[in-house]
Amino acid sequence: MSDPLFHEKMKAQIALSDVIDPELGVNIIDLGLVYEVDFPNVDQIIVNMTLSTPHCPLGEAIKEGVTNVLTAIFPYRNVKINVVWEPIWNFDMISDAGREQLGLSPR
Amino acid sequence: MADINIGKAPATIAVLPFYGTAAVFLWILTLFMAIEPYDLLVHYFSPHLLAWVHTAALGWATMMIFGAAYQLLPVICEQDLYSTRLALWSYGLLTTGVCILIFSFWNFWTGMPMIIGGSFILLAACCYAFNVWQTAAPCSDKYTVNKCFLISAACWLVLTVSIGLLLAINLRYPFIPRNHLELVKLHAHLGLVGWFLQLIVGVSVKLIPMFLLGKSNKNYVLRIALVLQNMGLILFLVDGYLVPTNKRSLIYGVLVLLGVLAWGYYLADAFRNRARKKIDIPMKHVFFSFGYLLAAFLLLPVMEFRTETKWVTLYGILLFLGWITALILGKTFKTLPFIVWNKRYKKLNGKVKVPLPKQLYSEQLVTVQYYLYHVACSLLLTGIVFTMTWLLQLSTILWLLMSTVYLYNVAKVLFHKQTKPLWNYK
Repeated sequence: MSDPLFHEKMKAQIALSDVIDPELGVNIIDLGLVYEVDFPNVDQIIVNMTLSTPHCPLGEAIKEGVTNVLTAIFPYRNVKINVVWEPIWNFDMISDAGREQLGLSPR
Repeated sequence: MADINIGKAPATIAVLPFYGTAAVFLWILTLFMAIEPYDLLVHYFSPHLLAWVHTAALGWATMMIFGAAYQLLPVICEQDLYSTRLALWSYGLLTTGVCILIFSFWNFWTGMPMIIGGSFILLAACCYAFNVWQTAAPCSDKYTVNKCFLISAACWLVLTVSIGLLLAINLRYPFIPRNHLELVKLHAHLGLVGWFLQLIVGVSVKLIPMFLLGKSNKNYVLRIALVLQNMGLILFLVDGYLVPTNKRSLIYGVLVLLGVLAWGYYLADAFRNRARKKIDIPMKHVFFSFGYLLAAFLLLPVMEFRTETKWVTLYGILLFLGWITALILGKTFKTLPFIVWNKRYKKLNGKVKVPLPKQLYSEQLVTVQYYLYHVACSLLLTGIVFTMTWLLQLSTILWLLMSTVYLYNVAKVLFHKQTKPLWNYK
């Protein structure tokens, strides 16, 4: 709560929950694909995120979704997405809600 | 943290025509079967059976595999597809070649029609192999085994088709100093073990763990599989050409079988270490396909020691309509809806509610297709083993029904239309 950007980050987090990984049918926040959302200055948002599979053909669609939802709520900010492979995404990064939606065994 | 190129999905025009055309060829194949079911009881080197086999191997399986490979090569190799234009060329050449070849076999027009058809298919195979090489060669080192399987499969395909073309020429202008049927045996196994098996291994070890959210670190077994499958095939070809009537082919069959078991061990490990416990119908199709493959291996000694040709027909059915068809029927709905979805809804993702890829086809029809397939396949195999003509008739009608359901569902995805406003999708 002491973070001055707390509200912006919460808004971004909620917006990103609307982006679905089409292959798994679960939003990218619950899948743990979003590593960090940062507001380095007044006109930019930087999203560090990953994909469940490197070079996934649906990667572009997910990136497009992230840009679309963030541009809608922060129209005056430029969205920059960094797709990173470190740390490597694994099943432990999926939230409990995501695991339930995927029908995965409980942690 | 650097921005990494995530790669672009290949143009849908390089992929979708293959899916649609393959589904049509499966339907044509089953129509042939339903019209003339008793052809299954004659010698395998008969005009209609040759037309069936080439419809299955080239029009159905190879057509679908080309399309799927163009879509999946970038995922497997982490490299964009080298050329969409070459992919389109391979489509045009393969489709034209298969049509000419099927008509030539059906009417047994040896000579120019068969040779022209074979030449078109050889050109298609060369376009495919060059595209695979240019896409897979720059792969990073960690995907060496996958890369080797894909490249070796493409090379074996070119060799299989080249030998097929030589056999077509040999039928009209005999020049090969060997028994034609012995050479057909080599040609068939070159395609089965070199092309289909190795391509399927190379793709499945990436895709099946991906669909199951599973993983295996036992990459060494894949290297063993690669060596055993290729060693068995090369020994079979060399020995089979030099000494055509020997029983050593069983030993080479065991080598290939060990290579298959090594691949199965890898997949079983990924299956054990999967997060997704629920197995859907398309994945069940895939698992059953392995059963058909193993059954075909069990038939090898029977074919060596029994003279009835029905065992050869049974072997071909287990492999083409059992193993390969079950695999493709399952994988179609794990790939095609995503390709179409990506084309239609990529730009809308996050803006409005869009349907999920699985909402682009009918899941109920996939279930119907699954049960129809198993009943049709079981009845067909039983009909051949016990030479029961009425059962063959019944099973081929079920095959036609199954392929109609499949074709309808594929068309539903290919020609997907929004049936309700986007905000109504959940």
